[in-house]
Amino acid sequence: MFLNARTRLILASILLSSVVTVSVLGIVYVTTNVIIEQETRSVVEAEITGLSDDFERLGLLGLAAAIDRRVQSSTKQDAIYLLTDYRGRTISGNLATWPTSVEPGGGWVELDLVRTDSEEEVPIAAISIRLESNARLLVGRDASGRQKFDRILVQSAGLALIAAFVLSLITSWLLTRLVFSRITDISDTANTIVAGDFARRIPVRGTGDEFDRLAVTLNDMLGRIEELVNNLQLTTNSLSHDLRSPLTRLRTHLDTLLLEDAEQQDRDKAGKRALEEVDHLLRVFANLTEIARAEARLPKSDFETVDMNALVRDAVELYAPVGEERGVNLLGVGTAKPINGHRALLMQVLSNILENALRYAPDNSTINVRLVDQDGGLCIEVCDEGPGMPDAFIKTAIQPFQTLDPSRSNPGAGLGLALVAAVARMHDGNVHLENTTPGLKVSVTLARGDI
Amino acid sequence: MSRRILVVEDDAETLEFISKGFEAQGYVVETATNGRDGLYLATDGGMDALILDRMLPELDGLAVVQSVRAAGINTPILLLTAMSAVDERVRGLRAGADDYLVKPFSFQELHARIEALMRRPQDHTESRVLTCADLTMDLERRSVTRAGRTLVLTPREFQILEFFLRRVNRVITRTMLLEGIWDYNFDPHTNIIDVHISKLRRELDGPGEPQLIKTVRSAGYILSDAG
Repeated sequence: MFLNARTRLILASILLSSVVTVSVLGIVYVTTNVIIEQETRSVVEAEITGLSDDFERLGLLGLAAAIDRRVQSSTKQDAIYLLTDYRGRTISGNLATWPTSVEPGGGWVELDLVRTDSEEEVPIAAISIRLESNARLLVGRDASGRQKFDRILVQSAGLALIAAFVLSLITSWLLTRLVFSRITDISDTANTIVAGDFARRIPVRGTGDEFDRLAVTLNDMLGRIEELVNNLQLTTNSLSHDLRSPLTRLRTHLDTLLLEDAEQQDRDKAGKRALEEVDHLLRVFANLTEIARAEARLPKSDFETVDMNALVRDAVELYAPVGEERGVNLLGVGTAKPINGHRALLMQVLSNILENALRYAPDNSTINVRLVDQDGGLCIEVCDEGPGMPDAFIKTAIQPFQTLDPSRSNPGAGLGLALVAAVARMHDGNVHLENTTPGLKVSVTLARGDI
Repeated sequence: MSRRILVVEDDAETLEFISKGFEAQGYVVETATNGRDGLYLATDGGMDALILDRMLPELDGLAVVQSVRAAGINTPILLLTAMSAVDERVRGLRAGADDYLVKPFSFQELHARIEALMRRPQDHTESRVLTCADLTMDLERRSVTRAGRTLVLTPREFQILEFFLRRVNRVITRTMLLEGIWDYNFDPHTNIIDVHISKLRRELDGPGEPQLIKTVRSAGYILSDAG
């Protein structure tokens, strides 16, 4: 079959409603016909019993008079009577002659006969008996009225069928148009994304219905995918760029080591440099692995209750001597309730932020590490009095391999804040950078989680 | 009697690097390249320490640790891994390993940690006074003197010095200090440990006195009583 899903749905809907209409009307038709026929027959049978009683009481002439009265009475338009003598001659009634095919006492018959009162040939259902002295009596009903009713019923059945057809065509067309246009939206968007446009999103129509909810959910998913793809692209680009220089330098050092006429002193130096380059590369890989693991949002089985106050106290104590050498004062202020988190990674976060702050803090300044309780979590704010960041850089600073320091003196290789951001996301939080002129304020929010 | 260690590692070059290093230090080194052989040798007895790779063919390093411990063998075990440090460390220690080292590592780091593991029982001897050369630490009075001169130390400096005094003549690496003193297992990008040591040295070494805590090149520090 080459019919599409929409046509199939419309056809199925029409077929279903037609079947329902036909069966309902069919049942009505059959039951009414049976009931009317039974009713008619019992009335006619009662009448013929009554008339044969009249014959016994009043004789043939009395019966004829009774029949004449009934024929003339206007209340029974559809009643048919015929009384004949033993030779078949008509005595009374509204039929011309006794129909030859009817044997008296032979039960119910149906046939077309001409009525003498209306001069019309009409369909008749009748029953007959043989009276004493061989007279015959036939009583029946003109069935033309009922046939007319049948015709009307069939006609209205036809009309109902057409109405059902049209209605189901319209409703199923509207319904499928609604469903399929939303499905088309989704598949069109998916196709554009497959073609490479990761920024495309499924239109939300603002109806708040299930389709809108589906679109919002899918768009959230697409957003996360785009973010990951972008990160991956950026990481790959930066990685190839950032690894090329240390690898090139490493190659130069190894070349020097292998030079036959090199001085021992130069060889020692080259060997030492080569080791440094390798250590740097390994550190980059270790950082990337940590970021990847944090980004993957692994099951939180390694989470535990972490007292952030103790963590900040330890970090400040650990880094304070580094600052002291240059008169930089490291201060931990504020308190916060414990959170459910990854202790080692959170310490790495504090370490990365503090190392950044210490790198840029001017001599004889202060770095504040403040803990603030928030709704459903807490915020770590680290403020230095350094030069801050250029506004253009602030937006990209948390992406991998972004560094303000083009020389190789930055041991984090531009991955420090990227790891901070990844760990924050792992704790359902985020990182915010802000110039406080002078200085930079790094805010890391963390969700409290299930304690 | 020379000390025997078992090294189970499937990478031939790493295995050679480790066994050559320990042989040069006077150890007897047994080797295996898969978990099954490793477990067999480990349960055979007579080892002073085990060095296991975390990922081994046939029987995983963690499984070997668990089997060795289940067999009631208490030989110190150090796990080596190429995986990320943070969670793997906890998992390894839970399985029954005593220490954990992330690849790549320097031989000095591995050596220092194995020495520390093998001498661990000594640490539990609860002496109230620790000494080294002309340095004396009284743990009850929490006072430190050098050549009769009382030193003023912060609680952290006291803790670091105690750590060294309990491991006299042994190399202490920077990561061992970070784990042992601060109980953190993360990667500081800067030389914070060096800064803490040089601060401690300023208190420790008076004018004209020899340096007590010496730097061991590309390894860490050592507190030596040789003077």
